[in-house]
Amino acid sequence: MIEVKEVEKKYGKKSVLSGMSFTAHKGEVTCLIGVNGSGKTTILNAIMGLTPFKKGDILIDGKRLHKEMYEKIAYIPDTMTMISSLKISEAFEFMNDFYTVWNQEKAQSLLTFFNLTTDMKISELSKGNKAKVNLVLGLALDVDYVLMDEPFSGIDIFSREEIANVFTSHLIENRGVIVTTHEIQDIEHLIDKAILINDGIVVKEFNAEEVREEQGMSIVDVMREVYRS
Amino acid sequence: MRLTLDSRAPVYIQVIEYFKVQIASGELEKGAEIPSRRELANTLKINPNTVQRAYKEMEEVGLIFTEGNMPSKVTKDEEVIKAIKDALLQDSITNFITSVQSLNVPLEAIIPLIEEKYKQANVQSKEEDND
Repeated sequence: MIEVKEVEKKYGKKSVLSGMSFTAHKGEVTCLIGVNGSGKTTILNAIMGLTPFKKGDILIDGKRLHKEMYEKIAYIPDTMTMISSLKISEAFEFMNDFYTVWNQEKAQSLLTFFNLTTDMKISELSKGNKAKVNLVLGLALDVDYVLMDEPFSGIDIFSREEIANVFTSHLIENRGVIVTTHEIQDIEHLIDKAILINDGIVVKEFNAEEVREEQGMSIVDVMREVYRS
Repeated sequence: MRLTLDSRAPVYIQVIEYFKVQIASGELEKGAEIPSRRELANTLKINPNTVQRAYKEMEEVGLIFTEGNMPSKVTKDEEVIKAIKDALLQDSITNFITSVQSLNVPLEAIIPLIEEKYKQANVQSKEEDND
């Protein structure tokens, strides 16, 4: 379980996280929903220890982030951080040198899943295909938790559909996934838990099926109620 | 397999309803294998945990059964299948009556209309089968 407890962070005088708390479980897809600037990316960075925070605590399976955690948790940022002059095969080698948990077999099957081949050069890929390679590099790590920042942002509908297929595949089976998005429609029926974020705090945390069952509301209905009030 | 999801209703119930119709209509025959949880999640683009929940409920009410590590199958119990069919029929008729009653039309006027439309629909579906 990933536990985010009352995390506060400021950039200068501006508060970006104002006591954010939520939990994300293994075997579930947890979706952080909020407009741009609401703190989604910052909290993912904080979970990964990429940005310091002043108050609060973040625990992964009960422990604070330490060096070995990088074998437990993978971060897939919204833009490709891999050197773009590399071929996909070279990017795989790079990952293999860098991570002990890199799973070459899984990387290959993911690539096939997306109809891509290792001889392709990253810089020559379309935006949609770059997003897929970016996902492959993160998902091929044998980790318990995967954080995905806006995997659907700025790419065509067919690529979005292909990426959504990852969520129902064995590729994330038994893992805990935290995904951020500002467009819920792409994954509305694929998520377990929705967390609505605004101005650096969680305004509502709920199970999508429970809200449908108990209140007859869609995720978008809940968002409308929360954000319009 | 197609299923248009209503985003305001629990997905697991929509999955169960879908199977009930398939089983009652004979589209899914008794004892037939149904897709694995992951396959169905993939086809319908829904959360695998949701499919798991739907399958669990269907197992509990005896709609499907699983032996060991084999794929789940549709019940072979004809009584269960008949009960599902009856329940679905009752629901459809209740819905129909509710909407027709609001128009204040007597039953005698409705019955010939039903007969006519029913025949038309049967002819149409046969033509579609021949296409």
